[in-house]
Amino acid sequence: MRQIAAAAGLCLVAFGTSLGAGAEETRPRVLISRQLAEARHLAPGSTIHLSSASSGERAQPFVVQGIYEPTPNPMEISESKFKVRLHLPDFARLITDPNDLVRLETVDQVNLALRDPAQAATVATRLMTEAPGIVARPVRVAVGGAGTFVAIERFHLAIAVVTIIASALFLLALSVMLVDERRDTVGVLRLIGLTSHRVLGQVFLEGLIVATGGSLFGLVLAAGSQAIINQYFQWHYNTALVFVRVTPSVAFLCLAIAIPLGVIASGVASWALLRRQLMALARR
Amino acid sequence: MRALTFAARNLLRQPARAWLGVLGVAAVGALLFDMLLLSNGLVISMEQMLATTGFDIRAGIGGMVPGGGPLIDDAVVLADRLRALPEVADATPVRFADGLLARTPRPLGVRVMGAASAGRPAWTLLRGRDLTGAPNEALVSQRVLDVMKTHIGGTLDIRTFAQGTRTVAPAEHLTIVGVAEFPFESERGTTIGLSLAGVDRVAGGTGAERAEQFLITSADGVEPKAAKAAIERAAPALTAFTNDQLLVRMQQGGLSYFRQISFVLTTVTVGFAFLLVTVLLTVSVNQRLGEIAGLRALGFSKRRAMADVVSEAVLIVGTGAVVALPLGLGLARILDWILKSIPGIPASLHFFVFQPRALVVHLVLFALTAVAAAAYPVRLVATLPIAATLRREVVS
Repeated sequence: MRQIAAAAGLCLVAFGTSLGAGAEETRPRVLISRQLAEARHLAPGSTIHLSSASSGERAQPFVVQGIYEPTPNPMEISESKFKVRLHLPDFARLITDPNDLVRLETVDQVNLALRDPAQAATVATRLMTEAPGIVARPVRVAVGGAGTFVAIERFHLAIAVVTIIASALFLLALSVMLVDERRDTVGVLRLIGLTSHRVLGQVFLEGLIVATGGSLFGLVLAAGSQAIINQYFQWHYNTALVFVRVTPSVAFLCLAIAIPLGVIASGVASWALLRRQLMALARR
Repeated sequence: MRALTFAARNLLRQPARAWLGVLGVAAVGALLFDMLLLSNGLVISMEQMLATTGFDIRAGIGGMVPGGGPLIDDAVVLADRLRALPEVADATPVRFADGLLARTPRPLGVRVMGAASAGRPAWTLLRGRDLTGAPNEALVSQRVLDVMKTHIGGTLDIRTFAQGTRTVAPAEHLTIVGVAEFPFESERGTTIGLSLAGVDRVAGGTGAERAEQFLITSADGVEPKAAKAAIERAAPALTAFTNDQLLVRMQQGGLSYFRQISFVLTTVTVGFAFLLVTVLLTVSVNQRLGEIAGLRALGFSKRRAMADVVSEAVLIVGTGAVVALPLGLGLARILDWILKSIPGIPASLHFFVFQPRALVVHLVLFALTAVAAAAYPVRLVATLPIAATLRREVVS
């Protein structure tokens, strides 16, 4: 199986509803992107004129066969979403001199689907060896964009780490204040016979409940806000790309960090108080 | 005792709590400062990079931003015509291509840059000599030399896939005549410099001097806009872009993502700092209600009690904001290093660039945060019933 691909910047010269039915039938058909259809109020059956020259010279008429949603591609996020898909012979006639038979048969690349995808590197090497002048690359090597997203993922992770550090400090400061506020209560509990470990256990349990409640609230907030964030960026970039997705693994990771952090903050703050002398706690 | 001194002593009474608050604000502040550096950093860095090349206009054909458009025939002749314009000081035709250097066990991918300079060179020569125009001479980046384990005077076998050619040419033999630094080259970039005829020849052409774009320098005292207009009048097929126009295009394009994320994170961090300080101050004031009521009973005015709370907020936020600056600069270096690992990012490009404006915005945002965070605790102090609070304190 093979797929032949060619691409070029085309110029949409004119558009509108069509002429007679007879003329339409002979015209080549194209698919246009949803964004282009919305921006120019085009619908299936509309006639558009396309040219390969920015001046609009040698424009040719096409009939819109259908409207498609371009496959969301993060690498093309800021590029034009106005796309047109043509049959290869129509495209070749549009961008080349009809008398230039060699160029009419020219394409940018040929995409191959292998029976055994694991052999991609071997096949590429063999093609380059047996057909001098051919450049063949496995898709995973040719897609240079992957490195971009790995770097951006690391960037987001670094920001998350700083945020966690700030949150931990915030939590610790708050815990110290709250524990200090309960100094008298802790003193009384110790005076009536409760051990430090018993009081600490209670503090841990409270910390666990508060941290779990806070984490779950945070997740609900994130799940609720993801729709708003996605809608904003999808509107801004006019794309169907999903920008934020709270997956089960992300939710689990958040809980795995936030709950222990909350419990540890409560424990550390309480431990500083419980180390004090009993009489000092009771302010005697 | 003045309000600020009183607030400082009050914070020092409980140093652990005070320092945790300050460090929390500093961590958030560092992130805020970095996001402010990021918001314009890439644009400023790109502007500096474009300026350091010495060319302030780029021109190509096809009506689009130069690079990747149709090839310009007779580029050297056209460059001479452009140089003859009074508004133009220099014009260098350039052409780019991707190529492979024959190497064991697998070929090395390289970027090929062809140029025909008459004045300002399109690259910076580090060692050896510049090209004489012979098509088999090559300048290479230091990394090419290192990876290929060769030297000046050595040879390379190259195959390119130049824009404008439909077939891949057989390998060409090149002689290395020098080492150069190429503009916009990434840290792990492998670039080779050739003459225009050299690029065409290794791309399977006839050695014609065709270019993708012109790098142009305006004449002294001539605005780039005026030079651009003169170029487009003299060569109507060309579309010229000044550096400012290119920056605007970049801001609307790929760079907009970082502005967006910067805006979102700035908003989140300011909100986080506000919450942090509000909670700390509110809990602190609630714990000291009896003490504040006592001071009011002793003769402290309501305004003075409120000033104490505001001063406490200013001290926590102010100290945190100052500590945030060196922390932020350190963090910016790490984040910049992470983002520069994106493939193809030029080595001299930076995402986080210090600007005095960012510092001013950082300090203003924190001042506003301190005032806003103090609002609720100040209200608690202002509406505190003195007698009832003292009674409750005694009874409890």
